[in-house]
Amino acid sequence: MKQHEEYKIVGKSVPRRDSIGKVTGQAIYTNDIKLPRMLYAKVLRSPLPHAKILNIDVSRALRLPGVKAVITGFDTKGVKWGVFKYTQDHPLLPRDKVRYVGEDVAAVAAIDEEIAMEALELIKVDYEPLPAVFDPIEAMQEGAPLIHEEFPRNINIHVHIEVGEVEKAFKESYLVMENTFRAAGEAYAMMEPYAVVAHYHEGFLDIWCPNAGPHVRAKALSNLLGLPLNRVRVRHVNIGGAFGGRSEVQPADLIAALLSIKTERPVKLSLTREENAMCTRQVHDVIATIKTGVKKDGTILAKEFKVIYDGGAYSSTGPIATSVPYYVYEETYRIPNVRYDGYRVFTNKGIRGMYGCHGRAFLVGNEVQLDMIAEALGMDPVEIRLKNGLKVGEETITKSKIISSGLHEALQKVSEKANWREKRLSIIKGKGKGMGIGCIGMMCGFPMGFRSGSSCYLKFNDDGQVTLITGIVDNGQGNESLAIQIASEVLGIPMEDINLVNADTEITNLDQGAYSQAATFVSGNAVKRACEDARRQILAIASDKLGVPAEELDLRNRMVVWKKDPSKNIPISWVVREAFFMGRPIVGFGSYMPKIDFEREWVKRPYGQLAGTFSYGACVAEVEVDKETGRIYLPRFYAAHDCGYPINPMAVEGQIEGSIVQAGVAAILEKNLWHKGFLLNPDLLEYKVPLACDIPDMEPIIVKSYDPEGPFGAKEGGLTIRMSAYSAVGTALYQALGIPITELPFTPDVVWKALRKVNEEAEK
Amino acid sequence: MKLPKFLYFRPKTIEEALATFTAYDGNAVYLAGGTDLIPRMKLGLKKPMAVIDLKGIEELKKVRVENGTIMIGSLVTLFELSKTPMIKEKFPALFEALLFTSCETLQMRGTIGGNILQDTRCLFYNQSEFWRKAKGPCVKTGGERCHVIGAKECLSNYMSDTAPALLSLEASLKLIGIEGEREIPLRDIFTGNGVSPFSLRPGEILCQISLPNEVTKGGYEKLRLRGSIDYPLLGIALSGSGEKVKIAIGGIGPIPKVWEGKLEEIPSGMQKLSQETKAIANTILDPLYRKEMIPVLSQRLAKRVFGS
Amino acid sequence: MELIRVQFKVNGDQVDLSVKPYETLLETLRNRLELTGTKEGCGLGSCGACTVLLDGMPVRSCLVLTAEVNGREITTIEGLKQGDKLHPLQEAFVNHGAVQCGFCTPGMILTAKALLDRNPKPTRSDIIRAISSNICRCTGYKKIIEAIEAVAQREER
Repeated sequence: MKQHEEYKIVGKSVPRRDSIGKVTGQAIYTNDIKLPRMLYAKVLRSPLPHAKILNIDVSRALRLPGVKAVITGFDTKGVKWGVFKYTQDHPLLPRDKVRYVGEDVAAVAAIDEEIAMEALELIKVDYEPLPAVFDPIEAMQEGAPLIHEEFPRNINIHVHIEVGEVEKAFKESYLVMENTFRAAGEAYAMMEPYAVVAHYHEGFLDIWCPNAGPHVRAKALSNLLGLPLNRVRVRHVNIGGAFGGRSEVQPADLIAALLSIKTERPVKLSLTREENAMCTRQVHDVIATIKTGVKKDGTILAKEFKVIYDGGAYSSTGPIATSVPYYVYEETYRIPNVRYDGYRVFTNKGIRGMYGCHGRAFLVGNEVQLDMIAEALGMDPVEIRLKNGLKVGEETITKSKIISSGLHEALQKVSEKANWREKRLSIIKGKGKGMGIGCIGMMCGFPMGFRSGSSCYLKFNDDGQVTLITGIVDNGQGNESLAIQIASEVLGIPMEDINLVNADTEITNLDQGAYSQAATFVSGNAVKRACEDARRQILAIASDKLGVPAEELDLRNRMVVWKKDPSKNIPISWVVREAFFMGRPIVGFGSYMPKIDFEREWVKRPYGQLAGTFSYGACVAEVEVDKETGRIYLPRFYAAHDCGYPINPMAVEGQIEGSIVQAGVAAILEKNLWHKGFLLNPDLLEYKVPLACDIPDMEPIIVKSYDPEGPFGAKEGGLTIRMSAYSAVGTALYQALGIPITELPFTPDVVWKALRKVNEEAEK
Repeated sequence: MKLPKFLYFRPKTIEEALATFTAYDGNAVYLAGGTDLIPRMKLGLKKPMAVIDLKGIEELKKVRVENGTIMIGSLVTLFELSKTPMIKEKFPALFEALLFTSCETLQMRGTIGGNILQDTRCLFYNQSEFWRKAKGPCVKTGGERCHVIGAKECLSNYMSDTAPALLSLEASLKLIGIEGEREIPLRDIFTGNGVSPFSLRPGEILCQISLPNEVTKGGYEKLRLRGSIDYPLLGIALSGSGEKVKIAIGGIGPIPKVWEGKLEEIPSGMQKLSQETKAIANTILDPLYRKEMIPVLSQRLAKRVFGS
Repeated sequence: MELIRVQFKVNGDQVDLSVKPYETLLETLRNRLELTGTKEGCGLGSCGACTVLLDGMPVRSCLVLTAEVNGREITTIEGLKQGDKLHPLQEAFVNHGAVQCGFCTPGMILTAKALLDRNPKPTRSDIIRAISSNICRCTGYKKIIEAIEAVAQREER
């Protein structure tokens, strides 16, 4: 791997390959798919937050002309699904009880949507309502309604991590602070509402749906349907955003599949925006209590955390969601003594999953508290972070080694760009203007057993163009173009010569999926290795032909050239044909498995190498608060992201900018609002996704730490900003108001109430 | 999302429209821009047998000046109106309210008449049929108790931006219905009842909004979370001279509140009004906060329009 | 229920259809005419993904009844290309990285086109005002604004 060197195309901003289809309207998303004799499905949903299902009568619905099938939980194999063996609690179509308003109970396939909707009215479900619980603290009390028999006190997951001697360390601390921060859960609000097309034919089930991990999806469906894995083919489709909310098998997938199997016709199930919000996945509400002990010089001695995650009605990613906010934090700072207790608690609300911005209460809380500590010690917030920030070669407290880190560089670069020293010194605390910094580390990939790796094949056609076959998944962030760009670099052929077949479980080999920031680092590495394999084969044949050692040859512009004298060359297509002649066609294969400790387990054994590598990022936010109205303005935002090496700088910038808005602006706008198990804003009007007029001036900064494992040194494309942008807003707000606001989102009424409380107390 | 079944008509005259309305025994609605009606029909809040599209009636799209009155056809779009120089010159409160309404794309479709006659809103009301059936009826949907306060009272919010501005300008409306024509002050169209916010007579079509043809000073302040699209969680319009100003407040409760007085009376007047206003947790922002912002934003507005 | 006959132009082509009175333009475009470039993001007019041009004016097609567009001209995203050549906005969106998941893109481009058609030299503020009618969840809007500005600056009018 070349460091500090110019590559041909990697490291350059190039238009993404998939953009043309998207700007012309030709790109196909799931709901655009139309197959011959396709049926349309609709789902009957639970109107109750918690109830026993006594009886379901579908007979009248079946008799409605145009209805071709009706299913309930009794049409499934009764298999409960879960991400982990110990979280297999989700029947997807229940037989015994419903646990949230909107849960799928029955479904109809008909010749058109109108008839399907009419048929739903004819299904009669008898429920016995049960007492429900909506607050996680209440849910954990003795005597609270039990949502799952096998999880006493509704505690789904308890992650306990303890290293060192926390109590002793607190006693030895110069300063100890404890704060509790809360955040309402967000909505993913991806622009594409969920949809599935299932087509069971000739013994094969083809599925199209927006998903972040087709191989994992296929396996889940194979188990749920009792179909062999090779008979379940999750097909490639364009995806309108996921942000962590489309990693797991959905009831909609099972429903469409069953209906198609029953009718032997293609079935399309399109969810409305409301269903997408209520019935797929949401984001956890979090209450985080953070206690920190430091030395007089600002060195962190100990941290104690108690964090409650409101998980909704089923486990979903369970232990992952209960741990990740803690892990990203321990990947960032040196903490010699720690006790973390994370509780994921069931409530009778929609299912909460992993999210790109997950854990804002926890992360904002830590960062704001750190600033409060810095202030008490007379230290600058950047200074205290540089002091405690982990460096290359160090280990996190749960024994993950850090092999590359741009944390210090990110902190320095972002504060420089933002003119931190000068500007911040000129700001008087509490006068309504503030500047704050937030930083975080991010894991690239985490243990998923044998499914943690990826592999890639490629073939050449005899004109010298390539088809790249890889499981890499693109949710919209640009992974498909990334694979092509990497291949273009290694094979010396232009991007337009490279076809990509990806995310199709029949053709592509196992890939971990596009979550946990693994696509560039793992899938990208596999692509690079496959191309290097093909490259070696090409150079071997060319070397023979040109009479020059392979090490002196390069691939450029569709040619094999002698580096010393490029006029000595042959076309790659010639080599390809020669290889065909020789009976050994050029076929590349490469795979990559991140160097993770596979004995590591989220709950049972939470230590060991968690991820292949870690990326780092830091944000600076400027805020202006109108103290009379509590309204926060975000004039400027700077974000430095250590992506290792940017394969496509324009794409990395796009991720940084999108993250500033999805996390930073969201900190003052976004929340799901609930009333006794009913989501009050399951739409895109009352759920406030930031608009173009709401954005700050943004300055994205790319930091290169040249990861030794990542392809071309690359790690991941922007997640650190998704998990630090809100911290910068929180810390800026602290400076602007002089008090910490401990409730997110920081909507005007929240800020105003906090200021009023301070005024009232001051008057007393 | 699908619309319920209905028949569609596009009359060319008001008479035709009224005749169709009568033919469907009142089980009909008028369609203007559709930006309020169509979503409500998709949510199952309104299921008429007939939808009568008024956009074929040319005379409703005109702006005329006659005898000291400016007459704005009800089907003039918000965007068009905002681009009419006379509006910006003479009625700054209305001009600002137009700019603040929703977003640019919807301003091009929404009409002034439709904006005035939009139904009241509430987080518990503007939900799908599934959601409301599961939650149970509320007062506005024919039930006994409001989901928010438990009482048999509907405090859904009237959220037009232009109506408060028009109220501050003492606008009047011309309506033509089955029983004939009438002209009333805009103020009189509101019932104060969230269940049925407008006192419209059978088949009445809002044809025209009239404003006195005089230059006014004024402005509009809107409380909303985002800078576009969102409805007002509080909308304050002010028009007048330095001597007497009229303030109209929308966004809280089913009827805009109107206040008249001298500039220096605004702080105490708004304080009192805020205390008397009933706001409940039926929007995304805290109700106490919204009330408290009445004196804050109205004083800001007055300062902006008239200086200190 | 009786169907309504509607004759209108879509991307320059004359169409003659019989539609349900309660059919939306979005449904007609996607389901009858199979022009799936226009997307349904929310169905209630809050997101702009369904934006098409109605006689050059941007509208949320999920809020328009097909019955209303008799005699009118509709432009969808599929109608922007001139033969093989991309519309300058399409090109700019691609070159400036203004497209990520792409779901908001057709609506966003058409909103931008309508803006430039009526205001060839928009200020940044004009651009932001216009596109604040459309939600994008991925890009953070910066590159979208830059792409539109680039086209506005390029064009000689």
